[in-house]
Amino acid sequence: MAKVATRDWYDIARDTNWTPTYVAEDEMFPPQFSDPYGIPLAEWETFDEPYKITFRDYVQSQREKDVGAYSVKSAIARTEFYRKASPGWKSLLQLHFGAVSFTEYGSVSAFARMSRFARAPGMRNMANFGSLDEIRHAQIQMYFAYEFIGESRAFDWAQKAVRTNNWVVISERHCFDDIEHTRDVISAAIMTNFSFEQAFTNLQFVALSADAKKYGDYSFATMLQTIQSDEARHAQIGEPLIEIMLRNGRKAEAQKLIDISFWRIWKQFSVLSGVSMDYYTPLEQRELSFKEFVKEFVGNQFLRNIQALGLEKPWYWDEYFLPDIDVYHHAQQIGIYLYRATEWWDVIAGVSPAERQWLESKYPGWNDTFGQVWDVITENILAGRLERTEPKLLPMMCNMVGFELTGVPGKKWDVRDCQVDYEGRRYHFGHPVDKWIFEQEPKRYKNHMGFIDRIVRGIVPAGPDGVFDYMNMGEADRGNCGENFAWAESYRRAAE
Amino acid sequence: MTDAVVFPKSNSRPGLKTWSTLAGTRKRPSEYEILTYNLHARTRDPQAPYEQDPDTMMNSWYKKHVVASPLTHPDWDAFRDPDQLTYRAYTTMQDGQEQYVDGLLEDHSENGHDASLPSAWVDALARLYTPGRYTAAAGQMASAYLVQVAPASTITNAAAFQEADCFRWISRIAYRTRELANSHADRGFVTGERARFETDPAWQGIRELLEKALVAYDWGEAFVAYNVVAARAVEEACVRQLGLAARRHGDTLTAMLADNQMKDAARSRRWTAALVGQCLAVESNRAVIAGWLGKWLPLADRAIDMFCAALPESPAAGEAAKAACAGFRRELGLA
Ligand SMILES: [Fe+2]
Ligand SMILES: [Fe+2]
Repeated sequence: MAKVATRDWYDIARDTNWTPTYVAEDEMFPPQFSDPYGIPLAEWETFDEPYKITFRDYVQSQREKDVGAYSVKSAIARTEFYRKASPGWKSLLQLHFGAVSFTEYGSVSAFARMSRFARAPGMRNMANFGSLDEIRHAQIQMYFAYEFIGESRAFDWAQKAVRTNNWVVISERHCFDDIEHTRDVISAAIMTNFSFEQAFTNLQFVALSADAKKYGDYSFATMLQTIQSDEARHAQIGEPLIEIMLRNGRKAEAQKLIDISFWRIWKQFSVLSGVSMDYYTPLEQRELSFKEFVKEFVGNQFLRNIQALGLEKPWYWDEYFLPDIDVYHHAQQIGIYLYRATEWWDVIAGVSPAERQWLESKYPGWNDTFGQVWDVITENILAGRLERTEPKLLPMMCNMVGFELTGVPGKKWDVRDCQVDYEGRRYHFGHPVDKWIFEQEPKRYKNHMGFIDRIVRGIVPAGPDGVFDYMNMGEADRGNCGENFAWAESYRRAAE
Repeated sequence: MTDAVVFPKSNSRPGLKTWSTLAGTRKRPSEYEILTYNLHARTRDPQAPYEQDPDTMMNSWYKKHVVASPLTHPDWDAFRDPDQLTYRAYTTMQDGQEQYVDGLLEDHSENGHDASLPSAWVDALARLYTPGRYTAAAGQMASAYLVQVAPASTITNAAAFQEADCFRWISRIAYRTRELANSHADRGFVTGERARFETDPAWQGIRELLEKALVAYDWGEAFVAYNVVAARAVEEACVRQLGLAARRHGDTLTAMLADNQMKDAARSRRWTAALVGQCLAVESNRAVIAGWLGKWLPLADRAIDMFCAALPESPAAGEAAKAACAGFRRELGLA
């Protein structure tokens, strides 16, 4: 007798629903976690994951993947590589590992919630792989970050960021807690697997990997690629759920989940990937601009996926999303550079004459807007007025995104401040879409204290170091200019 | 790349020997600790475990079932998995185990094992073995609940690998279900398991135990109900005693698969023992756990009796299974 073919037993392994009688069905699968949409169980049981793999094949292929990913270069060679890397690349690694590792670890629990509460056994099984995958992503990234910990304290943040109240981390938690961790498993899966993983992880794991390869950082490139191969698999939990929602008259609800999560994730990736690609990656190694990557991975692929499912592009797509690709990360980059002491990584200006030329070519009009702010910063640095490049004033921050409220400076100054007064408190938003998200479910977002709210209300201790203490940032945790302002010198030479 | 250029040393932010969170430890941290220790965001702020309104559905749930649990400890993150499993170690280990199982299945299939089984034992397999995938599915769900609520990342990861082990056995039982159906049509393989699990008296105690354990939402009770009681009862009755009966009936394959499944069970017991040990260091926890055991043990003992009574030619099975469960609790200092 031969081996039983996988297709002959696979369905049995996802035929694991029984009807409970010793406890109520709603107790075992509380609607708040399992299905607030009231779709019949038989409908959920049609869930069919597009990508099928067995436990047996999973452990084998993942073991092989890790043998490859962990052994591209020895630890010593990697440390050597890091020492010689350009400041921009160093900063990119510092930012990446601190910002990404803990969100990966968080996803372990998001998938586990699906494995516990999803009504479809196939979804529970796929999410089980998802939890394992995310343990892998947290561990492999912490492993690589740990190799650099002797080089810079910034890499400590791959481990400690999650427990701090650093303002960047608060922003990340606010976003990912919202879409991944605090909703029923159907909504969370659509938001996480479809909007976040399928639409955006390509940016950080495929596009950035291309830059890394070009830069010669093969360990980082390979690691990112293998992460994306897991993402591409478990991201597929989202689509069949959307199909079931649509078949059962829940199109509006599915659409709204996507509209909310797409925007929330966009804001995070815009800053994380946008700044990394357009300012930190050394000029010669930039594969494409961030905008070009977004057009390809998000503008084309995501839009195709969403339309193939019979959904619409988010309502704000043309009016707000497309224009935002040109501005948001450029505006945030300025604040990130100026408030560098509040960030764990060393920041990079990325605006030498050649880089500005590149920015202007990729983002026509950049010089007349963002460039004007950089002119002032450059002048201050050249005149030795470094203190003027570190603002003492508190910025206004968005109560949804948790980043500074920004618009387009310079000739078309346009700082948006959308406000909502709700139950006696005023909330500020950086964008009409952020305000719209708040208004969809104020009870979810109210009473959350943004970073500036915490300062204003005295939650953050007073005194010159109060803010830093609150963020768990000793002197050595605070970022500097990664090039020690050497980039500005090129302007002095040009002027001479 | 551009290693020809030498950049000015930008600043003095010296590196560290290890993560700052592990700086105080005497021993050099292991790879396991470096990659597993102290990674949860939700344990940061007991008022709002999640970064949103403190009273949202999920914040309320976590505060009620974890923060306010009667099971307490000043430092849950002190927990260590005795097996020190990382992801890489887990996939490497289980790839090896799965390779072994592949070999078992191939050997037995080549030798015409299933066709040679006594007819009455084939019926016993249809009644008592293949419906077992539902118990593994319950274990997958129970473990997944611990993953997402556990108050330490070291506990979360141990539970996640336990969850994956359950998935492993859902899969292998499914494989065997089809294989048995291929050589023994009309015995109810593939088509009959759900009804057996839902209505056959042999399974009803087990099903009641698992369903109730699944709705024990206090995280501490969920751990005790599943890891200390239910998982052990299911293993001792539906795996070990079933395996022994199989061997008596010439079914070496079921027996050897059971032995292999007990390896995963042994690992689960090791971390369960470690966590119970940590709990008992806090005096008030002893009464809390005793209270839960008082509630769960009668269900478990009854479940074992009902299942083992159906095992052919195994008059001592029930007592042996109950004794083994009690022995495990004695090891934990809970007897
Ligand atoms: Fe991931
Ligand atoms: Fe993922």
